[in-house]
Parts: sequence; structure tokens; C-alpha cells
Amino acid sequence: MKAVLAVALDLFREASSRRWFLALGIGITLLLAIAGLTLRIDVVDGALSATRLFGKVLHSDIRSVDVALRPVFRAAAYVIFYGGLAFGVLACADFAPSLLAPGRIEHLLALPVQRWQLLTGTFFGVLALSLVGAIYGAGGFTLLLAIKTGVWTLRPILAALIAGVTFAAIYGGMLVAALFARSAALSAATGGFLFLAGIVAGYRERLDSFFEPGIGRAAFQAVTLVLPRVSTLADASADLAASAPVDLSALGSELFGLAVFGLAALAFGIWRFESQDF
Amino acid sequence: MLAIQAVGLTKVYSSFFGKTRQTALAGLDLTIPVGSAFGLIGLNGAGKTTFIKSILGVVRPTSGTVRALGGDPEDAAIRARIGYLPERLHLPGAWTPVAFLSSVARLKGLGNAVETCRRHLGRVGLASDAERRIGGFSKGMRQRLGLAAALLGAPDLLVLDEPTDGVDPLGRAEIRRILAEERARGATIFLNSHLLAETERICDRIGILAKGRLVREGAIDELTGSATRYRARFAPGADAAALATIGFTARGGDDAFVCDAADPAALDALLTRARGAGALLVELRRDLRDLEEVLSEALGSPSIAGESS
Repeated sequence: MKAVLAVALDLFREASSRRWFLALGIGITLLLAIAGLTLRIDVVDGALSATRLFGKVLHSDIRSVDVALRPVFRAAAYVIFYGGLAFGVLACADFAPSLLAPGRIEHLLALPVQRWQLLTGTFFGVLALSLVGAIYGAGGFTLLLAIKTGVWTLRPILAALIAGVTFAAIYGGMLVAALFARSAALSAATGGFLFLAGIVAGYRERLDSFFEPGIGRAAFQAVTLVLPRVSTLADASADLAASAPVDLSALGSELFGLAVFGLAALAFGIWRFESQDF
Repeated sequence: MLAIQAVGLTKVYSSFFGKTRQTALAGLDLTIPVGSAFGLIGLNGAGKTTFIKSILGVVRPTSGTVRALGGDPEDAAIRARIGYLPERLHLPGAWTPVAFLSSVARLKGLGNAVETCRRHLGRVGLASDAERRIGGFSKGMRQRLGLAAALLGAPDLLVLDEPTDGVDPLGRAEIRRILAEERARGATIFLNSHLLAETERICDRIGILAKGRLVREGAIDELTGSATRYRARFAPGADAAALATIGFTARGGDDAFVCDAADPAALDALLTRARGAGALLVELRRDLRDLEEVLSEALGSPSIAGESS
């Protein structure tokens, strides 16, 4: 377990020195700082009375502040979910190809680390990275609004964590692709495909009526059955952030399916990695 | 006890669909005792790197067996006792040497070993660069850092692939000194280098690999010299024809001759006869060849030539 943690820690350290992640960290911090300095929210007796952004009054009805914040949290959840996934696919595409680079992989394999530990450490390093990114962005935003409005909630952070684990499952597929061809482009393409196909898979019940009953519909159902339901999870994440009713058993089932997909991809990757020469 | 043992080691690389096959190792047999310094030499594509990777478990043999330090290289406990410097070590440019070595130390199970890492950096001459980014390092500095990583944990077996590549002459001398210290500590050194002079200075045993097979193996003295052949130089004016009748063959055109003598008495008798023919001896030494000649001879031997045709 120590070796897995050591590999995950190294991936974290490597990410922190990459421009993509530095830019993301700086970007989130700047956005939060600008919002913190320019957004003014007046709350009177728990009701939102006035909101100013860059000194300009944003017109809205006087209503309970927690109700007024719901669409804001919903929008933020969607931005974090889809934006985070798109960013992750691009920014993390090079991790596995870099791990497998000549001169690096043979050095790592010559150390007292098992192959499965290397791959598992990389996978969990990316999972930790996506969770930290999600918590930093969503946590900062929630904290900012909490200070300005007095509404303290963990829901947007939980919603962002769903985005983080969804990305980790997609990254499992990207990792496998990199093991078959050491290419960041292929890894990113695989991530992009899983991202878009996962959006489609989330609406599979509604979309399968577009296919004629028979082989076409069965094929669509079979392919989308195994894919992570990205859009369903995004909707659940937004509902959770906006304090809308969430079917917890359905969400649990989706998350379980996500875990199965991610771990199955990791297991397949380990099987491939174990049989490779470098 | 053996540090490395390969028996009938064969590695065949196949393409993805198995259409093309390339034999890198063809039934290699080799034993290297603990505590020795062994140099593997050969031409490009001879299978040297594949053999090194087999020792480390990075490449799985198609057939045959390879054991390192008496165990399976796939065993992490065995690999923990091996230090490895690859030919082209990929280093994270944004990291400092201390961060890189600390990472290697963690993966070697040495825990938080910052002080040890700094000590090893000092040992390879990088103490003043400990906090610099690796991205700004020269090739020689990268090699030194790679060597420091290999030395972490005081390994029993050091596998070094071109350790002095890109290192300046003084740096090479330092590396030779470090390797001598490691040997004195009891470590076995396995060296792969194209720099034959370096190999000759570091190693006491040599193996020559060609087409995946070991074509020569033995102590350097045995391979580079002959127990019965001597090189003599006489003062200018020696009668070459008279010396030839005694058993001296001219070599090199600087009044140098070679002769064969089974023992010191036979050698003394030959020299007495030479002196009797008017030749004045000014230099006498064992006739040693350099490794380049040994390599050329080994690769030009009928068995290799026959296979290449």
C-alpha cells in the first residue's frame, strides 16, 4: 500500500509542476478573488434584498437567500462537472504516456514496486487530483457565498465530488488506451469519446426510441449499458447542489456502476501492463 | 554465490499480430559471481540492453531462466537489493535532485531519506546543485544524478548501462572511484558500456555478446593477453632475420618483436640466444591486446561470421 501511495504522491507532485494544473489553480483562485471583491450581496432577515456585481445592481425578487442561491449552485455544479471533465481529459491525457516513457518505465520497474502498484498508484493519484481540484473550486465558491450570505452548505462540494469520481472512471479508460499505444492524443481521444458517449448513455432510455427495434436498438442499448452515465450523474450533481430532491438509491446505483467501470478498466489495464515488455 | 545467473536465456520480440519476430537473446548462458565487476560489451543490437532488462524483470524471457542475487528478478525483495542506471534515464525536469532522489527512496522503501539523498548527491559531485531544477542539468549531471539514484539503499548489485556517457574525464575518474568503493563494500557491478577503455579500467571480467549469444567470457587478463606470449623491444640495429630464426616475430616496426615461451626458463633461453645474435634488449612485457582487438577478433570468429552470412 505504501508503494501505491508513493506513486500517487509522485503523480500529484508531477501535476503540480505542470502548466495546465498551475493555470487551473491560478484561474480558480483569480475567479474566486474577483468574485469575492466585486460581488456584494445584501441579506436582510434571511432574505436577499440586493445583489451588486462590479457595482451594478442585479435585479431580482426579494426572496429567501437559500432559495435564491439554488440556481446559482445548480449552474456552478454543471460548470464544475462538465468543465472539470473536459479539463481533466485534456490535462491528464499525458500522465500514463509519460509514465511509460522510455528511460522512465524501466527505471520504475527496476525498483521494488509491483506493476499493479504503479498503475493503481497512477489511477488513484488522478482520482485524488480530481477530487482536490473539485473541492478547491467548489469549496472556495461555497465558502465565498457562505461568507456573503450566511448560507452554509456542503451540497455543492458533494456535487463536485461526484464530478471528481466520474472523471476518475473516465480516466480508467484513458489509462487502458495509453497501455495499448503510448500516445497522449489517443488517451485524450478515448477520454473525449467516453465523455461524449457517457452523455448519450445518460439519456439511453429516451434515445433508444430513435432506433428501429432490432439489431440497431439492441446494439445501442448494449454499448451504452457499459458506459458511465455522465449526463445522469451531472443532473444528479446539479440537483444535489441546488437542494432539489435526489433519488439517493438511483444515485447510489449510478455511482456503483461508475466504480465498477473504473475498477474494471483498471483491472484490464493491469492485466495488459503485466504482460508487457519495456 | 552468484550475483547473476542466466541459463538458456532466450528472448524473442514479436509484433502485435505476431507477423514479425526478432530474436534479441538466443540461449544465453552466463554466471557472474558475487563481488565481481563484470562488463558486457558488443555491437549495437547484440542484445545487451535486453539482457540487462531481463536481469531486472523489465523484460520477461521467452524461454530459459535468469536469477539475480539468487532469486527471481520479479520478486520486489530482490529488486530492492539492485541499483539500476538506465542508458537514457528520464528525469522530471521541474523537480530538484533532492525531490527526485526522495521519490526513488520512497519507492525503494527507504522512507523519508532526505539526508541520505543529500549525502549521495555530495558523493556524485552534485551537492551544490541539490536545489536546482533538473531541467537545467547537463547530460553529465543527469548521469551523476542517475548514479546517485542507483546507489540509494546500498544495493548488493549495481546494474549500470553506459554510466559514464556524457561525463567529463574528471567526472569519469570520480565515477570509477565510487564504483571501486562500492566493490570494496562488497557490491557486484554489472556494466554495459561502449567505452571499452572505461570497461577495461572498471571491470575484472568481460563478456562479449553477439547476436544474442555470449561469444567470449572471462577475466580481462585472460582475454586481452596470452600466458605464453611476450613482447620484446631491442635497441635499433637488431638483425630481424637472425631474430626470426630464433623465434622472434617483428611487430609494429619500432624494433618490437613478439615471441612465445611456455615458462620463464624458455623465455630466458630465447633472450640469451637473441643477445647472442647481437640484439640488445631494452624492454620486455607480456603481450596484451586492448579490448577493441579482442572484440574485433570475437566478432570476426568463424562462428559469428557464419551466422551473419
